[in-house]
Amino acid sequence: MGGGVLAGSRETRNMAPPARYCVPGERLCSTEEASAGSGTYARHGSIFASLAGCLQRCAEGGGLPVVSVVRDADAQLLPGVGAVVTCKVCSINSRFAKVNILYVGSTPLKSTFRGTIRREDIRATEKDKVEVYKSFRPGDIVLAKVISLGDAQSNYLLSTAENELGVVVARSEAGVQMVPISWCEMQCPQTHTKDFRKVARVQPQFLQT
Amino acid sequence: SPLTACTRCRLQYVPVKGDHVIGIVTGKVGDVFRLDVGGSEQASLSYLAFEGATKRNRPNVQVGDLIYGQFLVANKDMEPEMVCIDSSGRASGMGVIGQDGFLFKVSLGLIRKLLAPKCEIIQELSQLYPFELVLGMNGRIWVKAKTVQQTLIIVNILEACEYMTAEQRKQALAKLSGN
Repeated sequence: MGGGVLAGSRETRNMAPPARYCVPGERLCSTEEASAGSGTYARHGSIFASLAGCLQRCAEGGGLPVVSVVRDADAQLLPGVGAVVTCKVCSINSRFAKVNILYVGSTPLKSTFRGTIRREDIRATEKDKVEVYKSFRPGDIVLAKVISLGDAQSNYLLSTAENELGVVVARSEAGVQMVPISWCEMQCPQTHTKDFRKVARVQPQFLQT
Repeated sequence: SPLTACTRCRLQYVPVKGDHVIGIVTGKVGDVFRLDVGGSEQASLSYLAFEGATKRNRPNVQVGDLIYGQFLVANKDMEPEMVCIDSSGRASGMGVIGQDGFLFKVSLGLIRKLLAPKCEIIQELSQLYPFELVLGMNGRIWVKAKTVQQTLIIVNILEACEYMTAEQRKQALAKLSGN
């Protein structure tokens, strides 16, 4: 708890040293000493932190200093609707596949987000004949597009219903990276066994040879 | 699946697509029954996967019932799925196993021996008493004869078949039919 005391006589300084860390729910000061900024909220005459992070106090020219909690130095990039994301398949089910979103576009994410690819969103045509087991397997790297952010409890909803979306990297049972031979099949170069996947048609300029 | 020594010696059953097994109903979740088939995961069985089942005409399945069915989906990445109809929609012997009778476990190798065509053990036992028999590839056998004593005798013989030679078995059966 131990509140940081904001001395009113230090209004002339821009930033009060040293930076202090706080956790959500920690009481920072009273609303008479400062006003709530981002990452904080005011309740019952006091200012509380709503994020876990670094405490920042900015003294403005006139009026009260602003107290804010900053989580990271740079803001996290969030996947937006329509963004193409790179994800790894965690588990599959007869109705959907659960994935971990690793990259948004070409920027890696610091923490992975969870996504779901429903069975009807895997392909654009013949949606009822789709078998999740013949499209994805756990461990595959998949290019998908975000179709919905979901609500509080559900994950991001993703879709691979385009030619350019689908499995990019997959390993065979032997552990060797497989080579795509058509839009629905991949072959292991070592054992020559064919496996079914929903393969992405990656643009030639993105392929590294 | 290929018949190898590894399959016979293995202790735990691994679900294989197409295998006929005996499952025990452990619960109902929505429209799906959960079955214990002796594998690492429980299997799911949709209530529509019975002969003549529709959304209004549900099968009469309670927790604790025995089900004889086959695997529709069985791979290492997904939860196994069972059905009680074949590809043409007929039950062909699958479904809920009737009341009474006795369920017991044997090794996977003995099941394969019993399922071989013209199995001597089954032929000799059938000359002893009439009985109903269901063999599950997961090592489970269900037996029902006219009386409890007859049922238990058959159970004991089947369990002992793992270790008995053909000679010892014939001797045991001769003693029983003499009585």
